[in-house]
Amino acid sequence: MKTFLLLLQDEITKARAFAFKNWVMTKRNVFTLFEILFWPLVSFLSVGLLAEFAGLKPDMKAFILIGVVSMSAVQVCQLDVAYALLYDVWSKATKHAFIAPVGIRHHLVGSLTVGIGRGGTVFFILMGGSFLLFDFDFTAPGWWPIALFMLGLFLSSASVGILVSILVLTLGNRAEVAAWSLVSLMLLLCGIYYPISILPEWVAVIAKLIPLTFFLEYYRSFYGFKPSFSHVLAKGYLLLALYLVIEIALMKIALKRAKRTGMLLRLSE
Amino acid sequence: MKLAVEARGLRKSFVSGWFTKRKKEALKGVDLNIPEGAFWGILGPNGAGKTTLLSVISNLLTPEEGEILVLGKNLRTHGAEISKQINLSSGHANFLWSMTVRENLKYYGMLYGLAGAGLARKVEELLDQFELHDFAGVRFEELSTGTKQKLALSKCLVNDPKLLLLDEPSVGLDPHVARRVREFIQRLHQEKGTTILMTTHNMREAEILCEQIAFIKDGTIKAFGTPQDLKRSLRLGDRIHITFQGAVPLLSLEMMKGIYGLQVRDSSCQILVDDHRERLPHILDLFISQSVLIHDLSIQESSLEDVFIAFAG
Repeated sequence: MKTFLLLLQDEITKARAFAFKNWVMTKRNVFTLFEILFWPLVSFLSVGLLAEFAGLKPDMKAFILIGVVSMSAVQVCQLDVAYALLYDVWSKATKHAFIAPVGIRHHLVGSLTVGIGRGGTVFFILMGGSFLLFDFDFTAPGWWPIALFMLGLFLSSASVGILVSILVLTLGNRAEVAAWSLVSLMLLLCGIYYPISILPEWVAVIAKLIPLTFFLEYYRSFYGFKPSFSHVLAKGYLLLALYLVIEIALMKIALKRAKRTGMLLRLSE
Repeated sequence: MKLAVEARGLRKSFVSGWFTKRKKEALKGVDLNIPEGAFWGILGPNGAGKTTLLSVISNLLTPEEGEILVLGKNLRTHGAEISKQINLSSGHANFLWSMTVRENLKYYGMLYGLAGAGLARKVEELLDQFELHDFAGVRFEELSTGTKQKLALSKCLVNDPKLLLLDEPSVGLDPHVARRVREFIQRLHQEKGTTILMTTHNMREAEILCEQIAFIKDGTIKAFGTPQDLKRSLRLGDRIHITFQGAVPLLSLEMMKGIYGLQVRDSSCQILVDDHRERLPHILDLFISQSVLIHDLSIQESSLEDVFIAFAG
């Protein structure tokens, strides 16, 4: 029992190290404040005002605002997961983190904790903004659906963040652009501003492979939009679980490859 | 004798280029036996494979071929276990730019599982040991090169490693800061008995600190031994310059043991010996017995730099 508790404490400490790093870097760098406040608010206000100008009905406005709020939260949260590696790459200190006895789980759990904090902040700010500025009640479905929806969003963020890390470990720091572009690609595919039913069939197939599509459908169902699939929440989580398992395995492979090719050292130069 | 590092036939190459692949062999079958508690230096010209070797030992690079045991465990199968007991410091210190000295030490301490009072104690101990208290709250990006280097050294002691890998620890430092860094390293080795493997371009540093030196060039270890052994192996020897009162006497110096050569010019001569400490008394005895008067005598020891040039050239 004592050994188990010591092991658990060791695991928590190592994960906390990554949370500590992300937190200190967040509070010391102005650009991270922009990520939480400036870009999400600009995006939210411009979409919300466009909806007002277009005189959209409340249900359509709900559709769009759910999309924009979710997207902003995912973008901010996934950045934190990617930052667990990128901060080291930008500092040229990658080797110091990887020489230590830490695993991918510590990277992921620690950075995701801060990501949830930052993404959650964005989510709640925009949720309040929706209510105050555009008369949209995000809490109408109740707190349980909100919690399940947010969990789906943040785990989706983790999945995107890990993918960015895999790309950086494989292709080098030129792949860091993925940290900002992958989410934009999702914006196009997941039905952030429109239902995926209007997409060309082959694009819709890709959209159905992205868990975020299912979580959006789930939450919008509370506002009168019938989901395109049955058991959207379960399917979203199952898909997500599958991706996370695959990605963690791929990350391990990418790390091994980076040690073989010398990429890990190049990321420190 | 327990070995800290035992390597057999290490090979590592790097491939570059997208379309036309270029392959560069960085290590070409390196064998290494470093005893526990030893202080070893790895010398060699740029691109010789020094940093690659250190990176392989620290498990940041995987060799294509060869076996490597670190602290008695196979690096391939026990990498995680080994990483708890080793650490690395690079000459060009790079850490998270926005973190202060204290935060950086705290972060790396946590990566090694230190928490609570133990972590706080370790951080304070390192701040004391490396005289970093005045900079504890200063961000890394605002530190001078010397202080960054001190942080790099203190960071690599955060887990009390049994094996310490130092990659050019004094590169780019002012002479007085470099001297302090050397003192820290020496004290660490003497007080804690940590096994240290260091690469350096500074021959004086290697001569002062390292008990054994391995010369690496083109990915292979060309020579190995104490600085004295290496000089002997190359027959570089020491130069004894003697100026006589009057002409150079005719003495059969070349027949003496340990004499590599003799050059005579006017009233002076230069004798090349294997070790002046051993040979000079005999030479002086000979001069005294022949009543030869010496006007001036000077000794020029061959340095590790001469050895380096001889190997790298």
